[in-house]
Amino acid sequence: MKNDVIKLSATYTKMIFRSWFQYKVDAILRSLAVFMREATSIIVIYFTLTKFDSINGWNIYEMLLLFSLVYMTYGILIIFFTGLRDFGHTVRDGSFDRYILRPRGLLFQLIFANADWFAAVGHGGLGILLFVISAAKLGVVWTPLRVLYYVFAIIGGVLIQGAIFLFLATLNIYLLETNMLKEVFYWNMRKFSGYPMSIFHKAIQFVMTFIVPFAFVNYFPAQFILRKDDMAAYSEIFMYIAPFVGIVLYMLAYLFWRFSIKYYKSSGN
Amino acid sequence: MGLTPYLAFAKKSFLSKSAYRLDHWMGILNTMIRLFIFVEIYKSLYGTREAVDGITMTMVTTNFILSLCLESFFAVDDFYLSSRINNGSIATEMLLPVSFHGRMLATNLGTAVFKLIFHFIPALLLAIFFIGMEAPAGAGNFVLFILSAILGYGVLWSISFMFQMLSFWLINVWAIMTIKNVFINVLSGSMIPLWFMPKWMSGVINFTPFASIYFSPVQIYLGNIGAAEIGMCFVKQIVWILVLMIIGKLLWIKGQKKMVVQGG
Repeated sequence: MKNDVIKLSATYTKMIFRSWFQYKVDAILRSLAVFMREATSIIVIYFTLTKFDSINGWNIYEMLLLFSLVYMTYGILIIFFTGLRDFGHTVRDGSFDRYILRPRGLLFQLIFANADWFAAVGHGGLGILLFVISAAKLGVVWTPLRVLYYVFAIIGGVLIQGAIFLFLATLNIYLLETNMLKEVFYWNMRKFSGYPMSIFHKAIQFVMTFIVPFAFVNYFPAQFILRKDDMAAYSEIFMYIAPFVGIVLYMLAYLFWRFSIKYYKSSGN
Repeated sequence: MGLTPYLAFAKKSFLSKSAYRLDHWMGILNTMIRLFIFVEIYKSLYGTREAVDGITMTMVTTNFILSLCLESFFAVDDFYLSSRINNGSIATEMLLPVSFHGRMLATNLGTAVFKLIFHFIPALLLAIFFIGMEAPAGAGNFVLFILSAILGYGVLWSISFMFQMLSFWLINVWAIMTIKNVFINVLSGSMIPLWFMPKWMSGVINFTPFASIYFSPVQIYLGNIGAAEIGMCFVKQIVWILVLMIIGKLLWIKGQKKMVVQGG
């Protein structure tokens, strides 16, 4: 069985690459488009800080570190969770019914049949680039502890967002249309997690810490090396638990999925 | 026959919008969240300063409220043509005795009217109540603002129209549309007020249609520019609409000849 899983995921990956390379111009344009769309926030923050120097004490390189963690985690995220991100579509057009008929785990199929490798390269590449530039400019000294912390923080960040996708995907079983929920609670939070959380209204800080905990994807991990003054407003513990929040959250979302999948009714005909 | 069929198309798209209620309320919430967050960012950037380069915090707030609210009702369906080419229904639609482009515009306008009433107005009222913004510089400015906003929608629609015509040559226009929208987002002033762009960048933006979408109406509303400049804004908007539509129509004529319908 174990062997089988590896073989099957390799086959899925090969299929995805084949279908991508069917239209080469399109594949290149797509990667470029993703790269540019993601760079939008960077361009905006660059122009803004050319005018204003810093935002609540964070300069441009410290801001880039915040952004880089968002992109790196997302780059890994869409290798594994694209199927869950687009789950609403799968349910609505009825193709989820096909998945049910196949003799493999639903989550397994959703994960491996949909990996978006090109976008992963676009996001991940941008993330690594920004991370390297900002760490060099900020003169970060890489102790083994810091390296270890960041490895786990990035995995944790992927799992936090994966849990959000899984949770929203599960909601699709009850509600047919959840795109706007995703827009509000995922994409907006993600867009603004590029800014130091401390500048926002207390209510938004609360949401970002306890409800859609994007703060643990980048803000607290970035504080781990930057230790900016605005960290004083939060408990130090947040910094240390950041790598583990994802694991707990993902387990909760998984239980919700297991519980709900029993109630799935097809919308197809 | 006249306008009747187009009114029917507009009405149909108006009604189909009202079917997704939850989606709709979430849309308003979404606009509000984005607004709040932009305002918070600029509050933090301004700190204790009254004004930066003569631009006050309330002017910045007004810019964001107007741009984002206008954005919420400027309905454009970037994939109207490409989806019809991909599923083949374009073949039958072109046989109908109504203009394809007329139908396209009518469908978008139906959505726009729906969003104007049920998205723009509530979002604007909420924003005025919770955030607060400047009143228009005068009654004349207000009327001109509305005119300029309508033309702004025209510019946005024409840009999309022109790019949609590329559907005849590209299998998938998603990438092109995304890149187009990056330019609109960065250069139209809805993410960074154009007052704060570096000088060289403002120079570049002057030669593009992007400032005509949201920023010209905002400038007119605030009374930041004189009569001559207001006139210039209107000329620019009209010229851009004409130029983009003409290019779009030329592409349409060329594209029709080589259209490849896949399936259907």
